[in-house]
Amino acid sequence: MTEVTGDQGIPADVVEHHLDRGAVSLRVDSALYPLEAIYAAAYVFIDRCYVFLDRVAEGKVRVTLSPKGAPYDAAAAREVVGEFANELLSCAWRAQITRESRATIEAVTAQALSGARGAPSLDDLEAFDFSDEAFDDPLGIAMSWEEKYAKNKKDASKTEPKPEEPKAEGGVEP
Amino acid sequence: MNLLQLRRRSSTFALPFNHRVVGGKVLITNTEGAFLLLTPAEFERFAEGNVDRASELFTRLKERNFIRGEENRESMIQRIRTRKSFLSFGPNLHIIVVTLRCNETCVYCHASRAGMDAVQTDLTKELAEKTVDQILKTTNPNVTIEFQGGEPLVNFEVVKHTIEYALEANKKVGKQLEFTMVSNLSLMDEDKLAYLVGKKVQICTSIDGPEHLHDKQRKLPKLSAHQKASYWIKRINDEYERMGLDTSLYHVEALLTTTRDTLPLWKEVVDTYVSLGCKALFLRPVDPFGFAEKTGGRVEYPRTEYLQFYRQATDYMLELNKQGVQILERFAAIFLTKILGGEDPNFLDIRNPCGAGIGQVAYNYDGKIFTCDEGRMVHEMGDSTFLIGDVTTSTYRDLMGHETVRALALASNLEAQPDCVNCTYQPYCGVCPVHNHRTQGTIFGRMRESTLCAVHKGIQDYLFEKLGAGDPQTLETFKKWTTVRDRTHFLQSCAV
Repeated sequence: MTEVTGDQGIPADVVEHHLDRGAVSLRVDSALYPLEAIYAAAYVFIDRCYVFLDRVAEGKVRVTLSPKGAPYDAAAAREVVGEFANELLSCAWRAQITRESRATIEAVTAQALSGARGAPSLDDLEAFDFSDEAFDDPLGIAMSWEEKYAKNKKDASKTEPKPEEPKAEGGVEP
Repeated sequence: MNLLQLRRRSSTFALPFNHRVVGGKVLITNTEGAFLLLTPAEFERFAEGNVDRASELFTRLKERNFIRGEENRESMIQRIRTRKSFLSFGPNLHIIVVTLRCNETCVYCHASRAGMDAVQTDLTKELAEKTVDQILKTTNPNVTIEFQGGEPLVNFEVVKHTIEYALEANKKVGKQLEFTMVSNLSLMDEDKLAYLVGKKVQICTSIDGPEHLHDKQRKLPKLSAHQKASYWIKRINDEYERMGLDTSLYHVEALLTTTRDTLPLWKEVVDTYVSLGCKALFLRPVDPFGFAEKTGGRVEYPRTEYLQFYRQATDYMLELNKQGVQILERFAAIFLTKILGGEDPNFLDIRNPCGAGIGQVAYNYDGKIFTCDEGRMVHEMGDSTFLIGDVTTSTYRDLMGHETVRALALASNLEAQPDCVNCTYQPYCGVCPVHNHRTQGTIFGRMRESTLCAVHKGIQDYLFEKLGAGDPQTLETFKKWTTVRDRTHFLQSCAV
């Protein structure tokens, strides 16, 4: 039987306390929780904690949370671990249902925003900068699948586009 | 009885549905918002796809579009279109904070009021005009301008100027314009009343229940806040009657903020509202905004206790209705309009997606613009997450295309919300990203831990229990509560 800690029932080999440094680390299985969910859950905590992500093994992301407010004790650690675990589950499920309901979500949102904004007036059109790019697209969201993943075509082993994972350092398996 | 208990579930008989056990029956709902309350045996036959085509159950299921291959697609599309009709237009509710100054001190003040000497929090006439110019650019043909504070009567000259300017400016754009004012009424006088009534301004106030509770929670120096408000409620209602208006339709609206001290006084609260001539009572729980965050230890309570209070108060209101007293509960009316009427009453806090930005906008005394009143309240607490512009530099399209408005439209879409996506009450419900942000640190929120979700689910449980029990008088009262009668007197005549 897996040893269970007092941290909201989370297995002991998943949570590591550093009470002396005012931090707690969780090892998250990235096959169970997609990286986008880990990012989303971690981001929710940046107003309360200093957050650091690193990769400790293949498919294992370590999330280190260091609460900003003092004092940091076992009760505070338990609170932050439980909150993070719940948020992580919420983000993972949200990522899944957002994909599944994408058509409905996009249709409703587009209708809501276009209905609210209305058609541009002549003044609006005059103010448009037609010489500029349509919009900044640092993540390549507007790129076609072929453009974005063209380099991967050369790799026959990759048949599905996958989100990029963080690069590991110090000899850790990428 | 639930799906997990069934061994022979059919994956081909039923169209997608959600289910919930309510009052010994099984409630099923679908995407278009149709519902049925089934007995456990009926639900078993439905879920197993074992319903005789000649049976009455089959007919009921078919009429509500629950059977695959038997659906009326035209009616499904029409019902969804009707429920989402608000999506075609921009904000219709525009809240102007004309001052943060207030002469009352409320234990839960959500608005973070300022002292009476804080004149720097008064809206100026110049900014008021720019605010109106901004408001009238909305794509919505219906515009309600709501004066709030602080206490708006403190800066009454600017209220009057705003009304006059809006009436004049509206001659060019022809919106269906209405004015409302939320006031504690303690600074009302006959001149102000004559002006407000003359300009068809709807007046809304706060009543916390019986006098001892109201005065304990809303401090008015040297006077009884309850006596002041009560006097003017009756005076205004008398004025409507004198004008020949139907007093069942035209009367002062009052709002309750439920605190811990309110909970045991459910009967006294209802009796107070009835005695003041109020026809509606909105049993609102306290929100975590403004002073309520600091005084939470005194005013907050578990939502299970609130729901018990809600049931007792609403049961009592239903009994009064049976005796011929006209009093409705506002939460119930909002949900029942969606459940029974198939329409969305466009109550912006319980809408999918919510009204932040795309349904309402809040304009602060200093010209700053927020997605909603709650966003403005959070700003006064030092968090400007929901600030989207200002009346001097922002264009209307800047505001509606603002990244925060887009984010809130996505965050409040129940199709993307864990728990909500599978919730039986999804067709009738809504979430508040500002509440989520304040209580859970994320605009998306976690509904299983949300006090707002607990309230919405608990109220809908109550309503469906009543619908399932089928008491004819209760159903008749519910029907009355969903009957919307336009108050055309309050509409300003418009011309282009």
